[in-house]
Amino acid sequence: MRRRSFIQSIAGLTVVSSFLASCQRQHVIKGSVIGASSHTGHLLRDKNFAAPVATTEHDIVIVGGGISGLSAARHLHRQGITNMVILDLEKEMGGNAACGSNDISGYPWGAHYVPIPNNDLTAYTDFMRECGVITSPPEAPLPTYNEYYICFDPEERLYINGQWQEGLIPQFGVPDAEKKQIQQFLDKMQAFRIAKGEDGKDAFAIPLDNSSKDPVFTALDQLTMKEWLHQQGWTSPYLQWYVNYCTRDDYGTTYDEISAWVGIQYFASRKGKGSNADHHDVLTWPEGNGWLAAHLKKELQPYFRNEALVARIQEEDGKLTIDYFDVKESRLKRINARQCILAVPQFVAGRILHDEARIRKVHQHIQYSPWMVANIRSNALDERTGYALSWDNVIYDSPSLGYVEATHQQVEQGKKQKNLTYYLPLTGKSPVEERKAAIERTHTEWVKMIVDDLDLVHPDIAANIEEVNVMIWGHAMARPLPGTAHGTIRQELGASINDRLHFAHTDLAGNSLFEEAFYQGLTAAQKVMTQLSAKI
Amino acid sequence: MSKKENGAQWLLLTAVFVIATCGLIYELVAGTLASYLLGDSITQFSTIIGVYLFSMGIGSFLSKYFSKNLLAWFIRIELLVGLVGGFSSALLFITFPLAASFRLILYAIVLITGILVGLEIPLLMRILEKKVEFKELVSRVFTFDYIGALLASLIFPLLLVPHLGLIRTSLFFGILNVGVGWYLAYKFSGEVRQAGLLKASAIILLLSQLVCFVFSEKIMTYSEAMTYDDNVVYSTSTPYQRIVITKNKHELRLFLNGNLQFSTADEYRYHEALVHPTFSSLSNPEQVLVLGGGDGLAVREILKYPAVKQVTLVDLDPAMTKLFSKQRMLTMLNDSSLLNPKVRVHNADAFTWLRNNKTKFDAIVVDFPDPSNFSIGKLYSTTFYQLLKHALRPEGIAVIQSTSPYVAPKSFWCVDTTLKAVGLHTIAYHNYVPSFGEWGYIMATPQEPHQWFSHIPAPLKFLNPTTLQQMLTFPEDMKAHQLLDINKLNNQALVKYFEEEWSKYLER
Repeated sequence: MRRRSFIQSIAGLTVVSSFLASCQRQHVIKGSVIGASSHTGHLLRDKNFAAPVATTEHDIVIVGGGISGLSAARHLHRQGITNMVILDLEKEMGGNAACGSNDISGYPWGAHYVPIPNNDLTAYTDFMRECGVITSPPEAPLPTYNEYYICFDPEERLYINGQWQEGLIPQFGVPDAEKKQIQQFLDKMQAFRIAKGEDGKDAFAIPLDNSSKDPVFTALDQLTMKEWLHQQGWTSPYLQWYVNYCTRDDYGTTYDEISAWVGIQYFASRKGKGSNADHHDVLTWPEGNGWLAAHLKKELQPYFRNEALVARIQEEDGKLTIDYFDVKESRLKRINARQCILAVPQFVAGRILHDEARIRKVHQHIQYSPWMVANIRSNALDERTGYALSWDNVIYDSPSLGYVEATHQQVEQGKKQKNLTYYLPLTGKSPVEERKAAIERTHTEWVKMIVDDLDLVHPDIAANIEEVNVMIWGHAMARPLPGTAHGTIRQELGASINDRLHFAHTDLAGNSLFEEAFYQGLTAAQKVMTQLSAKI
Repeated sequence: MSKKENGAQWLLLTAVFVIATCGLIYELVAGTLASYLLGDSITQFSTIIGVYLFSMGIGSFLSKYFSKNLLAWFIRIELLVGLVGGFSSALLFITFPLAASFRLILYAIVLITGILVGLEIPLLMRILEKKVEFKELVSRVFTFDYIGALLASLIFPLLLVPHLGLIRTSLFFGILNVGVGWYLAYKFSGEVRQAGLLKASAIILLLSQLVCFVFSEKIMTYSEAMTYDDNVVYSTSTPYQRIVITKNKHELRLFLNGNLQFSTADEYRYHEALVHPTFSSLSNPEQVLVLGGGDGLAVREILKYPAVKQVTLVDLDPAMTKLFSKQRMLTMLNDSSLLNPKVRVHNADAFTWLRNNKTKFDAIVVDFPDPSNFSIGKLYSTTFYQLLKHALRPEGIAVIQSTSPYVAPKSFWCVDTTLKAVGLHTIAYHNYVPSFGEWGYIMATPQEPHQWFSHIPAPLKFLNPTTLQQMLTFPEDMKAHQLLDINKLNNQALVKYFEEEWSKYLER
């Protein structure tokens, strides 16, 4: 009886879905594909610029208005520096923390959240206090977090074995033997979280460079996460999926490529604790980390020069000359500066410096992950059984990372329309191939990919999507491959040049976290201040 | 030849059997539906059987006007019966909310099915008259007719209604009817004109009924008629909720999204308990805020205090406050409270409104729906209660409807714990509201006021100093007996308690 009614439903559904499909043809999904200005950016690679037309003098030039650059500028501004400019290719500063908005809410083009800060990151928690994220004074024994920004419940769900379960760690329909392995893995991560090396430092810290150099732990940087799991005898496919999900989520890198040390760092480095929040909580805003970028930008507006493509940096007679192409005026301009912070990815830095050795080295050692991020404007969607719509919604075994409901932190009742941020790290083939394919894909093709993926959990999604905007990040982040965290390459590339030219970027930090960028900028700014005060 | 003739004869007699079964099923479906939806099953069944039999008479009478192509007509009618009968219950469910025209549609369907079924037997007898001896023919046709009827009457209550439900039952028999029509058209395609067209229409009908069959659940949810015991006198969908008002001889009930909000029989018990303990403890409740409560019934009680200068009512749904300001039946109920010059209505989201609010209030009445989902759960969180505390004068009091402490003691005391967590003093109490059961409320105040319950206005129907004392006592079965989580935006503890407790209760 059951079987028959099942067959009937299937037969009926085929008929219906073909009906529906014919209706959907009329439903046009609006939107477009945006890319971080790769077109202008590639001028750097392809174009020979004429001589600069105007020259100005500044103490400090910061190239790149991502979080590293903004953080450096903020620190310098606080130190009383005023003769400074920040150059960025894009129309808006913010880098990967870019965001957009519509009449429903803001939405991010990059990360949606930061974890609860580790309590030892004083400069960072001070910044959080300034933004109103931490509401308690510095002397409070534990910071109190603003409850509007701590991710509301329900936080995460996973569609697995035909049902939504609470949380992302596979549980529903997972055999006991595999559950046991998952538990062992989590216990191990907890042990790593509290572990310290011989040098007394935390085994896994944020920033990465504050971690212990004890070879017991750094040896993990020599193998991949998959190899390490294998060594531990953890063969459970559910566990492997979960770990792979996490490494793709944070680093755009699959677990069979990522350094085991960095893979573990994802789980073991977050130790923050507040009076009303714990290390597993996250801080989130509709526009994601764009919210934090906006706070960083607040007092820096006078220094901004957007749509400025830096073409060349040279050093002459103890002075730096920075030539940049003003996209709006379509002219090359020159700045003479005493100090410069290159807060751009290394593959760009090599080109700007016209440093062939650097370009080769970067090419050899650093791979950049391409990503696709889409923001979807949607009506209420049909739900499968199980746990309710959450902030983060993940489908087991999907190529994507699922979607975050950007509107989750709104307190209003009965909002029918939502913005959903859909994340797809392009890890299928090599970064070069994926990047090429991504640039060639049309809006319609992207929308089809998204709909085909989410259709499993929201069968009516095609009819309910109104608009999809797609962002292609050709070089979203450097991949933490084995050897990058504890090898020498980051030091080699990150060393200041003649105490005038400094580097700050997360590809030098070893992973692309907001905190790392914040400290990259801060450290570079401190180097600049040392040089300036030495010369006075 | 005689063998082929014989086969045809039996095929047609099978058709009679199917027709008889289907016909009676449609009649039973209509009768059952009418009793479900309109009540008074004796009247409904009696009139429907009467109309149906009478329509069969009309059909029999009309049969004499069919003189040519009898078999083609027979097949067409077969398909029509399948169409009308098959879709009848789906159509009736969907059209029920159109209230006035429902009976018309009901009897029209019964009439049409009756006429069509009534046509079929005489037509069939004429088709067969030259092939079978008359006495044999009459005997066989009616034997099959009545056996079909018996079968229908037995399987309808025993198998069909419990396993398929009404919509699918009628669709199933529609499919049978159409199937027989198609088979006849196929079998006799040599003898029937336009057999191709008949077959094609049969297949289209079959497909559409199949689709409907698969989606019958959707149709059921679309039609809420089955949900309510009484007549639906008003129903509307707003962007926020489904508002339904039902009525019987004694009472009027309001449902939001299918949840009972009040019954006129006992709403005074709820609203007196919600309002008076707070207001009778305030010496001068001038500025009042009501969150939710768009029915104006809490405001009606509030306006019994002459000291009240202004009542600000914040309700999300303009349709709701408009309905309770304009509809006479409803303004009689709330004494036109929403039209009172002291009352200001804001249609806004309570959380956002309170976040932007700068006024301080002497009394705040929080009358939200129960925390049955994560969205509403936010309105019971520490973050919300911080705002509430901020909007209260130090000597002011807020009161919160807090679900049933009998059904959901953990939920109830979780609200209490959460209010205390933001530094409010609380007093919990409860009373019995027959429509809801044992119901709970919590008063919360930044500073303990001095004279609890000193100014109870007279006369009230339920509340007096004695009942008030009883309301403050909680027996053991209304206590949580465990340490409860504070409800926060990032744990939604209350929604989890609520879900656990109410689903356990409703299972019984």
